[in-house]
Amino acid sequence: MSALGSIGSRLREPRTRRVLTVLAVLWLVTIPFTTTAYITEVFFTGLVFVMLGVSWNLVAGYAGQISLGHAAFFGFGAFVSAWLTSPGRAGLPESIQMPVVVAIAGGALAAAILALVVGPVMFRLTGHYFAIGTLALASIIQLILLDQRQFSGGSTGYYVQQSFGDDLMFLLALATTVGMYLVYRRIVASPSGLGMRAIHDDEGAASSLGVYPLKFKMYAFVVSSAMAGIAGGFWAQYTLFISADSTLSVVWMVDTLVIVVLGGMGSLLGPVYGAWLFLGLDTVLQRVGGEFATTVEGTLIIAFVLLAPKGVNGILRTWFDDDESGTAADHN
Amino acid sequence: MGRVRWTSSTPSRPGASGNLTVAALLPTYQMVSLDLVIESLLNGLLLGGIYAVAALGLSLVFGIMDVVNLAHGHMLMVGAYVAILFFMATGITPLIGMILAAVILFGFGMVLHVVILDNVVGEGIEQPIIVLFGLALVLQSVGRILLGSEAQAAELGIPGSAISIGSATLSFPRVVTFVVALVLILGTWAFLRYTTTGLAIRATAQNNAAAQYMGINTDNIFALTLGIGTALAGAAGALLSMLFPITPFVGWSYLLKAFAVVVLGGVGSIAGTLVGGLVLGVSENVGVLYLGGGFRDIISFSIFLIVLLIRPHGLFGKSGGGE
Repeated sequence: MSALGSIGSRLREPRTRRVLTVLAVLWLVTIPFTTTAYITEVFFTGLVFVMLGVSWNLVAGYAGQISLGHAAFFGFGAFVSAWLTSPGRAGLPESIQMPVVVAIAGGALAAAILALVVGPVMFRLTGHYFAIGTLALASIIQLILLDQRQFSGGSTGYYVQQSFGDDLMFLLALATTVGMYLVYRRIVASPSGLGMRAIHDDEGAASSLGVYPLKFKMYAFVVSSAMAGIAGGFWAQYTLFISADSTLSVVWMVDTLVIVVLGGMGSLLGPVYGAWLFLGLDTVLQRVGGEFATTVEGTLIIAFVLLAPKGVNGILRTWFDDDESGTAADHN
Repeated sequence: MGRVRWTSSTPSRPGASGNLTVAALLPTYQMVSLDLVIESLLNGLLLGGIYAVAALGLSLVFGIMDVVNLAHGHMLMVGAYVAILFFMATGITPLIGMILAAVILFGFGMVLHVVILDNVVGEGIEQPIIVLFGLALVLQSVGRILLGSEAQAAELGIPGSAISIGSATLSFPRVVTFVVALVLILGTWAFLRYTTTGLAIRATAQNNAAAQYMGINTDNIFALTLGIGTALAGAAGALLSMLFPITPFVGWSYLLKAFAVVVLGGVGSIAGTLVGGLVLGVSENVGVLYLGGGFRDIISFSIFLIVLLIRPHGLFGKSGGGE
């Protein structure tokens, strides 16, 4: 414990952490140029996972609103960005064709607007009702898109065309992920982040102290949905194929949930750890026995909630922290 | 391409391939005759009975334990497969298989409570939601590994011809399953109303602490409640397997439908659940007649959301409970 503790005390120095973070990001920058296309794609998926995890953690981990409809915003962002780079396939006029970056921003904006419209309605629900309501909403959005073959390609899917290469897209996604994390950290540390945590802990008490719950719920929900829309946009523009079946699938919700629960819900770095851990797990499982991947994921969700509710982030803390939370946890 | 797995794992639409009598008439979008409306209305009522059984289990667990069983739809799927496999292996009607399914899922529910849920209930709503979401995932993927993604169905296995009421014809399996569904609902009601155990369950629902002072072991009551809830899911699944094809992916769709019925009827109200089930069955069937088979789930999910927003405690529910 003491050896780990001394590593821990060094790790907890802000300067060490900053250096390590910069090194990690720099290493990621080299990925497209030093590895194969397959490995680049794996790491790209990791970046999308970080975006999804971070965005869902904001609304669920910090604001305490268990939305099970995150996949809808991811998918909607993906489709809007696809319509903007390749409008012809949906029968839209070619004049609205946009460059990739603008299209992804458009996808994010569309997801944010969708959240802005449905948010006040969904937030009339609380707790379990909110969770199931968002699950139903996501299903409705998916079924409608599936039904509108002209816009979504139905179950055959939608092919995306754009001019950026894979390497450039990867670097763009990396920059966006870093930027998104900084925005997320800033929001969590801001007074609004405090408001979110207050309504998470006790909505009644918070609102009696003048914290207006709807305001902070909506703030978290809209920002989180826009981030999911960005992730969806990147996914569409990198893989160049989306479909209402797979891109709006509840699978994305599942992945997001696993990432956040694995990493540690309501902790800043949790979703980042969770995303890379899940990526490794998922990639290995796909190779070893693809069909068991989901079973393992589901089991992991259950196991983590029961045995390590604070996730990997919590475990790391008890290992590396020498005095404060480490021993406190031992005493319990 | 790592991420194309499970493309068919979206909430599937059982109505798209089932219910052929109505769906076959639809692509032409012709004027819908009154006879047809009456017929699908009656068939919707019959289907609604099964929805009510599925919802009753969810409603009991929600009302008494304050937990929404997110794996309820997947347990229904398991029950359906028990009946289907039993039918395929022995040729015995799924009506008997239903009893087997209910017994198996009753045990599963009790074990689930003791092993998992007991540790997370009462620790806020996040943990039960996430744990049950994970369980749903496990059931779905295990189902896919063991049984494949192909749709399967059982037949009633009892000879009988369609029943005519005036100009409307009702399919025989639907009538039989409806009667069985009514018996199940009445049985559950009588159990809660007239047995001592039922009284203990109702007491726990009303006031957990007071029930404990009266010497009720509420832990056992919770385990029993979850057992009954999942047994009802299993029975409903067995009944549905005679009407619609079942795949490992139908869980989400039936979860949402069952929850829609709970919301329509009000949490913990048995009569409300029955009415809610019938309302959902009828509106789905009549809606499909006008909009097309692809809209079956859109209709029921939309009804669900609208009711939830207008009357958060259900059409017939009293406020309180399950927030």
